Amino acid sequence: MGKLYDELRKDFRLEEGLKACMNCGICTAICPAAEFYHYDPRTICDTVQTHDDEKIEELLKSETIWYCGQCMSCKTRCPRGNTPAMVIMALRRLSQEKGWFTQSEKGRQQLAIKRTVGENILRLGYCVHPETVIPEVHPEQGPVWEWIFSHTPEVINRLGGNYKKDGPGILRNITEESLLELEAIFQVSGGTNLYRRIENHSRRKAKEMNISFIGKGTSNDPYFVHVYTENSGNHSR
Amino acid sequence: MNQSKQVVIIGAGPAGMEVAAVLSDHRYRVTLLDKELQMGGKLNQWAHLFPDFSDADELRHAMLQRLNKPEIHFVPQVTVEQISFSSEKIRVQLSDGQLVNADALMVTTGFQVFNAARKEEYGYGLYQNVITSAELETLFRESRTIRTSNGRKPGRIALVHCIGSRDEKCGNTYCSRVCCITAVKQAIEIKKRLPQSEVFCFYIDMRMFGHGFEELYREAQEKWNITFIRGRVSEAARNQDGLLQIKAEDTLTGRPLKMNTDLMVLMVGMEPSDGTRQMQWMLNLKQTFGGFIQSETGLLNGNATNHAGVFVAGSCKGPMSLSDTLTDARSAALEVMKYLGHSIPERQQASAENEISFDNR
Amino acid sequence: MNNNWKNYQKDISNDHYYYARSCIRQNFFPGSETAFLNILQKDLQRDIFDDPKHTTCTGIGYHSDIVPFETTMTVIARQFALMTEAGYSNFVPSCVTSFGLYSEILETWEHHPEIEAQARDYLWKATRREFKIPENLVHTSDLIFHFREEIARKAKFRLVNAETGRPLQVVEHIGCHYAKIFPSRGVGGAEFPYVLAGMIESWGGEVVDYPERRHCCGFGFRQYLVMANRGYPVANSRKKLESMQPYQPDFIVTNCPGCSMFLDRWQYVIAEQEGVTYGEKGMGIPVLTYEEMAGLVLGYQPWDLGMQTHQVAVEPLLRKMGIPFREEEKYLDRNGKSISCPEKPSFLIA
Repeated sequence: MGKLYDELRKDFRLEEGLKACMNCGICTAICPAAEFYHYDPRTICDTVQTHDDEKIEELLKSETIWYCGQCMSCKTRCPRGNTPAMVIMALRRLSQEKGWFTQSEKGRQQLAIKRTVGENILRLGYCVHPETVIPEVHPEQGPVWEWIFSHTPEVINRLGGNYKKDGPGILRNITEESLLELEAIFQVSGGTNLYRRIENHSRRKAKEMNISFIGKGTSNDPYFVHVYTENSGNHSR
Repeated sequence: MNQSKQVVIIGAGPAGMEVAAVLSDHRYRVTLLDKELQMGGKLNQWAHLFPDFSDADELRHAMLQRLNKPEIHFVPQVTVEQISFSSEKIRVQLSDGQLVNADALMVTTGFQVFNAARKEEYGYGLYQNVITSAELETLFRESRTIRTSNGRKPGRIALVHCIGSRDEKCGNTYCSRVCCITAVKQAIEIKKRLPQSEVFCFYIDMRMFGHGFEELYREAQEKWNITFIRGRVSEAARNQDGLLQIKAEDTLTGRPLKMNTDLMVLMVGMEPSDGTRQMQWMLNLKQTFGGFIQSETGLLNGNATNHAGVFVAGSCKGPMSLSDTLTDARSAALEVMKYLGHSIPERQQASAENEISFDNR
Repeated sequence: MNNNWKNYQKDISNDHYYYARSCIRQNFFPGSETAFLNILQKDLQRDIFDDPKHTTCTGIGYHSDIVPFETTMTVIARQFALMTEAGYSNFVPSCVTSFGLYSEILETWEHHPEIEAQARDYLWKATRREFKIPENLVHTSDLIFHFREEIARKAKFRLVNAETGRPLQVVEHIGCHYAKIFPSRGVGGAEFPYVLAGMIESWGGEVVDYPERRHCCGFGFRQYLVMANRGYPVANSRKKLESMQPYQPDFIVTNCPGCSMFLDRWQYVIAEQEGVTYGEKGMGIPVLTYEEMAGLVLGYQPWDLGMQTHQVAVEPLLRKMGIPFREEEKYLDRNGKSISCPEKPSFLIA
């Protein structure tokens, strides 16, 4: 039993997610990611249960572990009660702890998610907020979203909202007091640490890749733009 | 001496019949009970037996012939209402009002097939053209042709292993032992009747444990062109044409696959029968982790239970083939005989000339 | 129809709910949350509390692995503390990811009491708050399901074609985290969830079964959040749309806010990219939230329900159901002033 495996084991989701795999493939059969990506949840569980540190390290540095869409269809069917999606979460956590997530194109995207969803949580109290769903980077939202984006208070308030105001209601202002509590929760529970780690490792990687790294913001930061848009095209079957 | 002893056998399937045959050979009196009108149990439902396609009816007939003895009293269409124990006898109260006093009890209440409707994702009972292996066997038995629900010859048939077995999700984590060889057998039987069809077996492991099994598996591939795919089928859905769309992973090539099929045969596993559960409850018998009746541990004592005077044989103990069942039944009969104080002839004094010595000289 | 769903019933409390809003629903289908509260409070006379103090549960961050489990569970502990403080014990989240996550946290705490102790400890350190575990945790769609017969009795419109009287053919799509994680926590279980089918059947419609019914819409969290990955959600939604098209559904209804958004928007994307449309006459298949479906049945005005925020036009469906609406009121603000209107896409013109 290797050291890496032991570290992985500290995450209770590994214990919950992997008892013993008989390699029946029922998870891969139903997995949406397996259909479209070079991805096979069965082999991931099989690899982890070998406890082979070399193979696990390879996984932690690979594109592979970032393909899962967390739909949990695997959990519904596994005859041994495993959940590959939970094993994936444990692997992703360790990959970020070690800083190895920057070695894969998909792993590097963690910075993009941290700068968008991650900062929204602490700044606004929402994971997603209309002022951050900018049509230029969300063309898929269509012309109706462009209209909503340009007239957010009117549209929201037409529909019973309380846009950016205090008190209850849709897209209300989350008060400073609540935001401070969230901040404090992040501090004591390791959330802030993870954000910092994602930034630091990304900065290092940006330097290595010779891409300018501003350190905050989104479309103003070349490294953010790079990880947000880069796709080698080598990810599907 | 033996004629004064009465054994009640609950369940007249192959195990019960075989125990009755052996005991009656040794002049013990046997009362053989069954809830059905006929003896034979599940043997009445099979057409041809693996691995050599021998006729189930012929076997059944041969077994019946051996039961044509005055010692055997067959009581059909009864169940057991109550069992009580005194210091002398075991009193068995039957549903037809009879009371039988036994010196020993033999439980051979057998199994039932897993209810495939419990695995909702396969669509059994909801979609057409999803049948169980038991239903296919009945079709063979009644010499009906294999057709889809709209009367056509199926071009493609998929046999899906491990339905209700090796599966935490439905509560049966054990292997039902005989479904793999049954799938091989039925795949060949389908091919014999529909030589133009494509036949697939979706398996996890090929459990070819018995004599001739591995050879039959090879024949299925070489002679009958049956395709074996190592991957557990995850779900079946019906499409507009009435075809079934199944999803599995071909684990040997590591690729997910989706396939349309005309007919799907679910290889259903074995569970303790209702009769077996009733006996467990009535007699407070120990259970195996699969819910079957636990015989006393150890290879030397496989037919006794935790209840003195109560013996058990056959598939009520766990998934078994016919071959296993008959062997187990004979062993159980011997156990009962020992329990009943079977008279054993005195050993003769060995004389010097006749003595066989194992010393090295 | 499969009646196995009766084997998977769960306890749904009858009144006094603490409501937790959904980030995605507020952004993309705000009218639905308003409708939900109106239906519960006005039509069904129930007590449901809309607390301004609650925040995101961080579920999207958790499932994109930027928020650690310990942080998420403490944020959720705070939500429970707010519920307790407000005097409630029935917790009802609007988001399906939230529902799955709250369920996962409760199960984890049950099996690992030391983790629950840690959550209490973190919450105290960070906020000085304490919480009680909710007595009842269900999703908002479970409540509408629970009250479907009451709603049916008050219905002004039914899910039928007003002209022909034929039941509407409805595709019901269940968010993955509703029942796939803990099948016993979903009405009807994971294979044939009944929470939306029950509503549809009570209100006169017919449920369409199609091969990819259970397939994920493809949200995939990081697979959508990062632009480079967006091929994945489109491909998955497209798979579903292709699969349901032959059955000619009149509309799609989902209980997950993300799913509604994706099935709506990806029809637009597929149309623009390939000129391929689904539904009748190139107009797309309208995608409704269950709140919108309930609202229409109860006679709420479509533009009050927020149906103007859909990309796939809903007017053909409204006409089919015989629901009156004024097109000129579609893009007005709450004072009746025009807010201009969206540009028309190249395809999917109603």
